[in-house]
Amino acid sequence: MVGSKTLRKRFDEVADKILNEAKADEIEVRIIQSDTALTRYANSRIHQNIGQKDTHLSIRAVFGKKVGSATTNSLEDKDVKNLLAKAETIAKNQRKDPEFYGLPAVKDKIDEKSAFVKETAEYSPDQRAEKVKEIIEMARSEGVDRVYGAFQTDMKSLFVANSHGVRRFSTLTTANLTTNAIVDWDDDQGFGWGESFSADVSEIDHIEVGKTAVEKGLNNIEPEKIELGEYDVVLEPLAVKSILMYLDMMGFSAKSVQEERSFMNGRFGEQIMDERVDIYDDVSEKDMVGFPFDYEGVPKQRVDLIKSGVANEVVYDSYTAGREGDKESTGHALPMPNPMSPLAMNLLMGTGDFSKDEMIEETEKGILVTRFNYCRPIHPMKGILTGLTRDGTWLIEDGEIKKPVKNLRFTQNLIEALDNVEAIGEERRLFPMGYYPAYFAAPAVKIPDFRFTGTTEF
Amino acid sequence: MYLGANMRDIVELGIGLLEKEGIEYGDVRLSQTENEVINVKNGAVESIKSGESKGYGIRVIKGGWGFASSSDFSERGMKETIKRALKIAGASSKISDNIDLENVEIYQESYTTPYKKDPFKIPLEEKLDYLMDVDERMEIDDRIKVRKCNFNAWKTIKEFASTEGARIEQELIMTGGGLGVNVSDGEDTQKRSYPNSFGGDYNSRGYEFFEDLDLLGNAEDTAEEGVDLLEAEQCPEGEMDIILNTNQLALQVHESCGHPTELDRALGTEASYAGTSFLTPDKLGDFRYGSDIVNIVSDATAEGGLGTFGYDDEGVKAKKVDLIRNGIFVGYQASREGAAKVGVEVSGNMRADGWKNLPIVRMTNINLEPGDWSKDEIVEETEKGIIFDGIKSWSIDDKRLNFQFGTEAGYLIENGEITKLIKNPTYTGLTPEFWNNCDAIAGEEEWRLHGVPNCGKGEPPQTMQVGHGCAPARFTDIRVGVGKW
Repeated sequence: MVGSKTLRKRFDEVADKILNEAKADEIEVRIIQSDTALTRYANSRIHQNIGQKDTHLSIRAVFGKKVGSATTNSLEDKDVKNLLAKAETIAKNQRKDPEFYGLPAVKDKIDEKSAFVKETAEYSPDQRAEKVKEIIEMARSEGVDRVYGAFQTDMKSLFVANSHGVRRFSTLTTANLTTNAIVDWDDDQGFGWGESFSADVSEIDHIEVGKTAVEKGLNNIEPEKIELGEYDVVLEPLAVKSILMYLDMMGFSAKSVQEERSFMNGRFGEQIMDERVDIYDDVSEKDMVGFPFDYEGVPKQRVDLIKSGVANEVVYDSYTAGREGDKESTGHALPMPNPMSPLAMNLLMGTGDFSKDEMIEETEKGILVTRFNYCRPIHPMKGILTGLTRDGTWLIEDGEIKKPVKNLRFTQNLIEALDNVEAIGEERRLFPMGYYPAYFAAPAVKIPDFRFTGTTEF
Repeated sequence: MYLGANMRDIVELGIGLLEKEGIEYGDVRLSQTENEVINVKNGAVESIKSGESKGYGIRVIKGGWGFASSSDFSERGMKETIKRALKIAGASSKISDNIDLENVEIYQESYTTPYKKDPFKIPLEEKLDYLMDVDERMEIDDRIKVRKCNFNAWKTIKEFASTEGARIEQELIMTGGGLGVNVSDGEDTQKRSYPNSFGGDYNSRGYEFFEDLDLLGNAEDTAEEGVDLLEAEQCPEGEMDIILNTNQLALQVHESCGHPTELDRALGTEASYAGTSFLTPDKLGDFRYGSDIVNIVSDATAEGGLGTFGYDDEGVKAKKVDLIRNGIFVGYQASREGAAKVGVEVSGNMRADGWKNLPIVRMTNINLEPGDWSKDEIVEETEKGIIFDGIKSWSIDDKRLNFQFGTEAGYLIENGEITKLIKNPTYTGLTPEFWNNCDAIAGEEEWRLHGVPNCGKGEPPQTMQVGHGCAPARFTDIRVGVGKW
């Protein structure tokens, strides 16, 4: 492992060279270095086991209002020089973008430290294999011969410098363990799920993750089909994570509002969800991880998206802020240029005062959901989402978990769902998004009249 | 910097080092990818990006699988990467089955995508001018909030070598683009795209494919229909016949046939992420997947397909394999390892997203073979139904059974005639029931080979470019208009 001081020095040298040689009016240098290690297991055997290292150098060159960008994965002098020439050539041949108001110049001193844990960075394939082996042995001791999952550790560094004097560097570690139990493979039943995520690999209780999956799987034998319709639902934190993630993509960015496709459009200041619902982006919360600045080097601000149920504000990058004139970037740019930017990358839902057990106890008839699968927006302005339950869905009757049920498809207006929310969990859990380096902290929630529109055969 | 002739030297260095390690199998796959992306939005160029990435991946079997990748091309870098792959294999071996790879023919060959015009040699100015013209053609109504069009091209040069003696060079080119509008009247929002949503359409061809798309000639009509959707009637609720146009049918094939016929899913190795498959090995050869007229193949040789290549990423020559024949499930997309486990044909579907990732079972071109109808005949013989066009929303369970799709536009058919445009059209069903209700497929003249550039699978997530050929088809008695509006 290359030390972060050495890495910073190397990135500074690359940036200095680019900034000195550039002819453009403005220049941005972004370097992302990653070291990913992942052990996948299936049928209680390791079947894929990898280590990946990569470095991404990106240059954004600006001549007036003309912007061009180019990327490479080489930091060799010759490649860096070519890259600068390419970015500048593209920018010169570019059309003017009247709505581009320059690269950000926020140089405020901030604590650039991310959650970096040496043990995570140095975690070895043998250590991952050992933990996986213990999960497999634990599952066998419970009579479950087939477990599946992945144990991933990552170290990622982000460096951003620009010609306005912005210069930021931070290194982050993350670890994620998943276990999927399939208790009865031959009869295609008994699915259960466990997951744990942390910056510190030592905080991952692998046996607990495995046990959760196995226990859910054992309690999910012979699921029955139930009648479709509206049910009260108790959603575990992982299911709520999906809701937060799709609310984020459908409507929490300035771009979605500017393009008039967000459920927030025309509703700012209005009570659109229950007053107990708070959804906000804040990288500094103690149960959150993430870089303290965005991919343009702008420090991340706390943004209260939904405050006491009121549609309050959205996140900005420098471009969307520039378009509105009186706004500043909130520090939510993705690697630019990027059609998905800005994005709330450290999203949290405020906690309530209910335990999951209390939510179940107070449910006369309802559904308990472990997690959702393959969710997709149907109508972003209305906040309508569809998806299916996965890895453990149960019918609740008279305050007790009655029986497992076959997976269900929901088609639901999420804004209405969170307006009707009946209870919010007292604890929340952190999960990664997967594709983007975004993280979501979600509690369990209870929602009445959740609309199930389809069912499947397992 | 192009590695050029050095590529062979680098892989030979890797193979030479691997051969000293007493391994059961090893391969070195080096690739260099160049891409260009131009996005025009609302009269300005939203982004022009040029990217390149080069590196190599080492795959070894030594008691278990190990894989490591790096972009350090020095001898030291290669040695460290091999050491890492071996260390990982050593860890895997503690909990691994015996790994057998099905025997395949070993090639020392090269392959280049046939193309007429190198998309990277067309001047940037020319592409920008064209896209700006396309953008202007869409500026027809204030309710259009976003006009966008794009051009994308990729060029990948690959070198594959194995300890079995394979040496394969490939140069692959992909080109495509599209246009679309987002419309809003403050109360509702709709979108309309051409030739498909999510960036248009793509082929393994040169710039000539982008020209043939004729974005300019289709810009105004697409924008107009986007605006019309705001005033259109909501999709009715109920059961009726549906006709899928090729852009949506391509996705239906992708999700409900492409993914479930991936053998790794059927064997459980994607269980914890993408999911498994209802098409389990015991069903092979006699399970009725669809009606008699349903024939689906995995064809990496299809001319121009986005999933077309010379050799897959474990050195297997591109081929065409039956997946569904006369409605019966008859084949899998299978790796060498999977084929050896189950005793099926190696289908040449192992593909990796760049040099960094491990090859996994991926679709090539999963094509629905043409039937003998014309779309006009299908419409004429439909009493009540909806035509679905333009991907908007898609969701399917982790065994690929229950699905729900939404498209940008629907066209209501009453008594054999298209009577009106409808908005928010959705349909839902269970895969085998759905394909068994397929009663008409249009012929070769209306068959189109679409490209899907963003199929996600694997951990860490990999994105793959795949193709789907099909002609419009009808499915009877399907539930439409799902949800509360």
